[in-house]
Order: sequence, then structure tokens, then C-alpha cells
Amino acid sequence: MSKKKIFQYNFSRDFTPWLFYLKAMGIFFSLPILVIGISLFGEVGEMWSHIATYLLPQYLKNTTLLILGTSLLTVFLGVSSAWVVSRYEFRGRRTAEWLLFLPLAIPSYICAYAYVGIFGYGGSLGILGKSIGILIPPLDMMNLYGLIWVLSFSLFPYVYAASRASFLSNVASLRECATLLGANESRYFFTVALPLSQPAIVGGLFLVIMELLNDYGAAKYYGINTFTTGIFRTWTALEDFQSAIYLSALLVLLILLLKGLEKLQRGRKSFETQGRRAEGHVHMRISPKGWKNALCVLLAWTPIGFGFILPFFQLVRWAWLNVDIHAYWDVGSIAFQSFGLAFTTASLTLLFGLLLVYFSQWNPLKSFNFITKLATTGYIIPGAIIGIGLIGVSQYVVDFFDDTFQLKIGFLIYGSSFVLIYAYIVRFLALAYTPIGANSLKIGRQLAEASYLLGKKPLKTLRSIEIPLLKQTLYGVFFLTFIDTMKELPLTLLLKPYDVMTLAVKAFEYADDERVAEASIPALMLIGIVGTLLLLVNTKVLAEDKPSK
Amino acid sequence: MHKLFFSFSLVLLLFGCQNGSPEGADPSDQEESREITLYTHRHYDTDQAIFEAFEKESGIKVNVVNASADELIQKMESEGDQSPADLLITVDAGRLVRAKEKDLLQPIESEYLESTIPSNLQDPDNMWFAVTKRARVIVYDKDKVKPEQLSTYEALVEPQWKGKVLVRSSGNIYNQSLMASIIANVGEEQAEAWATGVVENFARPPKGNDRDQVKAIAFEEGEVAIINTYYLGRLLTSKDPEEVEAGEAVQVFFPNQEGRGAHINISGIGVAKYSPNKEDAIAFMEYLLSKEVQETFASANYEYPVNPEAESSELLRNWGSFKEDTLSLSKLGTLNKVAVTTFDKAGWQ
Repeated sequence: MSKKKIFQYNFSRDFTPWLFYLKAMGIFFSLPILVIGISLFGEVGEMWSHIATYLLPQYLKNTTLLILGTSLLTVFLGVSSAWVVSRYEFRGRRTAEWLLFLPLAIPSYICAYAYVGIFGYGGSLGILGKSIGILIPPLDMMNLYGLIWVLSFSLFPYVYAASRASFLSNVASLRECATLLGANESRYFFTVALPLSQPAIVGGLFLVIMELLNDYGAAKYYGINTFTTGIFRTWTALEDFQSAIYLSALLVLLILLLKGLEKLQRGRKSFETQGRRAEGHVHMRISPKGWKNALCVLLAWTPIGFGFILPFFQLVRWAWLNVDIHAYWDVGSIAFQSFGLAFTTASLTLLFGLLLVYFSQWNPLKSFNFITKLATTGYIIPGAIIGIGLIGVSQYVVDFFDDTFQLKIGFLIYGSSFVLIYAYIVRFLALAYTPIGANSLKIGRQLAEASYLLGKKPLKTLRSIEIPLLKQTLYGVFFLTFIDTMKELPLTLLLKPYDVMTLAVKAFEYADDERVAEASIPALMLIGIVGTLLLLVNTKVLAEDKPSK
Repeated sequence: MHKLFFSFSLVLLLFGCQNGSPEGADPSDQEESREITLYTHRHYDTDQAIFEAFEKESGIKVNVVNASADELIQKMESEGDQSPADLLITVDAGRLVRAKEKDLLQPIESEYLESTIPSNLQDPDNMWFAVTKRARVIVYDKDKVKPEQLSTYEALVEPQWKGKVLVRSSGNIYNQSLMASIIANVGEEQAEAWATGVVENFARPPKGNDRDQVKAIAFEEGEVAIINTYYLGRLLTSKDPEEVEAGEAVQVFFPNQEGRGAHINISGIGVAKYSPNKEDAIAFMEYLLSKEVQETFASANYEYPVNPEAESSELLRNWGSFKEDTLSLSKLGTLNKVAVTTFDKAGWQ
């Protein structure tokens, strides 16, 4: 774009329908966030000085330490496991490759309880030790380090998934060049593969931090006061909703700061690579010998062991102890409802994420793209706060219909899953938007432009060229959104109609009532559904990774 | 272009279907069959069974919305006069008082409820009534502590308990209510001094739930703990032998028996201000307070019944009868916020 064009700004010429759709969609999904933003202009809550004096320093300290510790550990676990499963061939690699996703299926607060159930007083480990005559002292998990440990092992798959996809898509010629130039494995990893995957790793880490900041159950149980527990304390115990919103706004600022730093560091580097991609992964996997082989096995299986196998066995033990108490609730129907909600949400989020990315690409007025940014901030605002913003919005809508058309639509809004699904999309849109956006950058614009030149419309091009190229990403996005919806708690609690029940809510109700053992049954069902879906998605995604004959 | 419109209308249609069906189905249902909508913080399987029994007996369908009381109150506030809620059930008196202050409840007339429930366990304006009672007591290590060493909550600041007191965090509503009752009895200043004293005697920073405090005694991390009675009941009847063993390591002590009595809290219920089905809602409340249902609460959930005719369970009787603090429970609500700020000032996490 030349300078002249910038100065002779011609709106009517640059206006396209895409801009209209973009704006409509962006504003629609930003509504709850706008409501929260507007309430920031109100006066500060009356408890603010109390919070600032007695609580804020502690929240800042704990949250910072938690972010630092968890970031370091998740990046190490996620990147190292992704590297060994995408680069090496060793015993059990195929199983490890999909099991590494599974820690995501256990809600982190359940994981926190499970760890206490294993290592705590009267825990499974102690019982096991006693039965074979060894005294194993209990290990206190309920502190900051324990929380970092539990959250890291339950959230690292976000980093794993992102870096694995990135490592697998590394162009073969780069690796050949590096080898020809005499770089050994570790040099190739540190100077080529790792820097190239930086956007992906950071993207995954970002998701980890968001999840961590949304965690309420684990931190509360372990007695660690963080921003999120503080927001709830301010809202519920101190009865100061206004200050709670201010705390959330501070949290959002903190996150924007982190994002800004990352952007500054990344600068204007391009991560677009061209060349052969999908072919020949398997032939190029190295089969390490001796201690290197052992190291691969260790790096791939340690995260699975601590993130999935250990808590899973604890849940199975609890379920075993409580096998007969579940006469009352209809397990099948809860599982079915959970599945239906998650499936609808994941499909719609995928659709809207994809449309947002491409609408803003097709729209020449880049200055309007802040709307997309706004629509995808839902992920950094604690679920409960979005929920309340949304109740405000729906109340407005209900009143509007009542006043203008004398229509009582309250029943419709509060009695159906419509608002709940909308809320899920608001919250998870970033989960779809970020990876689709990143990977569409990696694909670049050249193929699409060629297609336009050959006379194909943007939507046709999207369907026949860009979507097939993005297939892996889209499967990944669908899966992540699906799991996150299955596990989602604060929004579901707040917005679900009375006749809807999800596995996550059922598990939470038991855990909240200090009946963790009973919570294991819905939790195990959740793992079952997620595991099955993962196997299905995996056969699709991994299909491209199989040796071609 | 057409295709874009097509895909958009498809999306709209999708949404349309979702909200279309309840609109079509539900209002007609409402006229034919009677139903009540219950916003409740209690989520016990026992409750579900009781609701089902009520449905069978009365033909009134019970719709249950489960969430924390704070969220439910916020929800009712936002929903205003179009809220579907008929009843609000909380697990503490404080939240009922808050709902009352926010003008979310309405007074009702029920001779049965008024005469059955002791006066300190119901709202003076008939806006809410207790359903069950819980006592917050001290439990102690059977082997190391003699009951003579214990007397009151206030005495837990004595030097003999240095490094031996176990209790969960101040974010918990039961701790907040206990603190509110202490403030009501001895004043804010002394209450803060008490909290500071207890913090100095902590065996460890507050963490875990009530059950975890008992386990910590069993594994000798401390010697006395403040917990709710029914959690001990649950431990003693747990299917995990280790939990039963932990429960058996401790004994219940009802504090302040010479003075005001042990602190109690309630699970209570009130009729929502905009309740669409007020009469059925009152019928439901009366059902919950009937002798049989009260005994179910006691035997299945180890809570104390509030209907004096109902018998408590055998386990509860084993712990003995005790003198209750008859402080009006409304106080717990009005002092809740002060209780929380007092905890913060004392450094009780």
C-alpha cells in the first residue's frame, strides 16, 4: 500500500461485505466483555483499600510464582516430549504420542484431589507401602510447589500439542541442510527446530497460563491465595462485585503485558517456511540406541505417568470403593448431555474461529481488526466474570423484548442452553482463533492469491484450498474446544438450565461437598469420552504420519 | 456471496432450533402440570431422593438448579421479575440474610413452619426458615488430649496449643459464620485478637477441607481441629478404611458449654420474591420440615434435624446432646463481611 492511499482514505471504496460480517460477529461475541469494560468506568468498590492493603500483595506474589514455575515446567515437559515423539522412533512411541494428550481429560482440581489421595495422609501410596511392609511417609502436596507440580502435569499437553504439530510440520529440507552442514542433533534442535517453533510453543504456553489463571478449585483446596481465588473472595465474601471486576481487569492487564513482551521479542521475524512437509516423517525418524533410547522413553513417559496414570489409578481406586452409591442419577443421560453440549460448542467455535480469521484477512480495512482482538479476549477473563457479564446482557435483552414487544422471553433465555453455548463460544473463541490464525500465516497467501487469479471466489478458495491445508489444525482445535467445554465449570454452573447436567458439574458437586471419592465416577466417564474421541481424532491426524507404501 | 448468506442463515437456523424448541414446548407444559423451580446450594444425593419422593407424593415437579449460593443470588438479582426461581436453599444463614437484604425473598404465612422451627432458626419477618442444623465443634486427638484441657473456642489461643491447632482457610463460609458469632458475642476488637492468637497456634497454614483437618490429627500434625460435625460422620462411615481409622482417632468436644453454647449454623430455605408458584413452594417447604424427611436428613447426611419431633441419628446421639448458641442467625449474615475483614487483618489465610 502506497503512502498516497493511506492519506487519501476512501472508506466507501475499501468497504466490503466482509467488514460488515466481521464487525457483526466481532461485536456479537464481545458483548459480555464490553459490559465488563463499561462497568470499569464506575467507581471503585468500597472494599478496595482493604483488598489493596491486606490481600493484593499476596495475590500478586503467589500468582507470579505460580505462572513462572508452571511455565518453566510445562515448557520443559511439553517441548521435550513433543520432540522425542516427533523425531525419534522408540518402543511405545505410538502409544505415548496419544497418551500425552490425555492429562487434559482430568480437570485440574480433580487432579489436585487425586494427588492428595495418593501422597497425603492415609493415601494410596502409604497403604501400598504398608501392605508390602515398607513405611512410606506421606508427602505434603498442599503448598505452592505442590500446586505448580499438579497444574504443570495436568496442563502441559497444551504445549505438547502445539510444539508437536510444529515439529512435525518442519520442512524436511531444513533438516537436511542442517545435517549436511554438520549440525548434530542437539544443535539442530536448539538452533533450527526450537526457534522455528517459538510461536507455537508460546501459543501453547499462553493457553496454559490462561487455564492456570482460571483455576479456582485446585488453588482453593491447597490453600494458595491467587488472583482467581481473590476475585471470588472479593465478590462473594467481601460482597464487592465492583472490586472483583477491577481485580479481573488487573489480571487482564497482566496478561496483555505478557503478550506484549512476547510480541516485542518476536519482532518482525517471519516464520513462513516453504518446501516438502508431510512426506517421509517416518523414514526420517531416528532410532536411538542405548542410553539415548532410555532417555527418549523417560522423556515421553514421565509426563504421562505423573499427569495421567497416577491420578487415573487413584480415581479408579476411589470409584472401586464407592461402586454402589450411584443409584440416583442417570449416568448415561448426564454423559450424553455433556457430550452434546461439548460437540455443539466445539463445532460452532471452530466455524466462528475460522470465519473470523478469514473475514479479517479478506477485509482490507485492517484498522477494524481490533474487533477480532476484542472478541477473542474471552479466554483471559475468569469464567465466572464472563458469566455475570452475560447475565447482565441477557437481562437487557429480556427487558428490551418485554418493554418493546410485550414478549416475555425470560423463560427462553434462562431455560434453554442457548445462552450457555453462546457463553462457551465467547470464552473459547481464542482457542480456535489463535491456532487457525497462526497456521494460516504459515500457509501464506500465495496459494489463495493464485486461486483468486484463476477466478475462484474467496469462500470457494477457503473450502477447496485453505481448509484442506488446515485440516490438522482444525482437528486439533475441535478437540481442544471439546475437552475444555467438557471440563468447563464456572460458566456452566452459572448459566446452565436446571434440566441440564454435565459430568464436570456433577464431579464438582461431590468434590465441593468433601466427597472426592464419589466425584471419581463422573470424572472417569469424562476421561472415557475424551479418550475415545482422542483415539478417533488421532487416527485421522496420525493417518498422515503413517509410512506410505 | 449467496453462499455466505446461506452459511450465515444456516448458523442462525442452528441457533433458532436450539431456542425454538423450549419456547414451543415449555409454556404449555407449565399450564398443564404443576412444578416448582428450586435454586439450591445443597447437592447431596439424599436431597435428590427426597425431591423425588415429594414429586411422587404431591404430583408437583421439582426443577433443581445447583450452584453456589453467591452465584444463585447474583442470578436471581439479574433475572429480576422474570426469574423462574420459586425457592432458594443455602447452606448457611448468612447467604439467606443477604438474599433478604437484596430484596430477593418474600414473607410467607405458614403456621406449621412458624410453630415447628425454633424462633432463633427462622427469620423474624418469615422470609426464611432453617431446614437442618450443623454444629461447628472442636475435635481432639484421643491419645494426646484430655477433654478437661478444652473449654471454649476462645481458649484455643492458650499457649498449650502452640503449633497444634488445625483449621481450614478463612475463605470457607463455616469459618466466617463462626467468626461472625464470636464478633457478635465479644466484639470486633477482641475477635481480631482471638484470630491473631489462633493464627499463632496454627500447626500449619490453613489448607484442605474439614476432612483433611481430621486426617492431619490422625497423622499427628496437630492435636485439635475446628470442624463441622457432619464431615466427621462422613469419615466414620466412609468406604475407605483409612478414612474410618482417621475418624476414629478423634473425639468430638462441644465448646462453650458453660457459656453461650456451641456455634451452630443452618441450611435454610426461603421463597423467592417473584416466585411464580408460591403455594406449591410453601407446600414443599412444609414437606422438608416434616418429621420423616427431617429424620432422613439426619440419618443419611449426619445433620441435626430442626423439627424437635424428629430424632437424630444414632451416630449423632453417641456424641451426646449439647447446649447450642441461641444467637439469632440473622446476625451471622449481617456480620459476615466484618468477619472476613477481621480474618484478613489477623493474617488467617
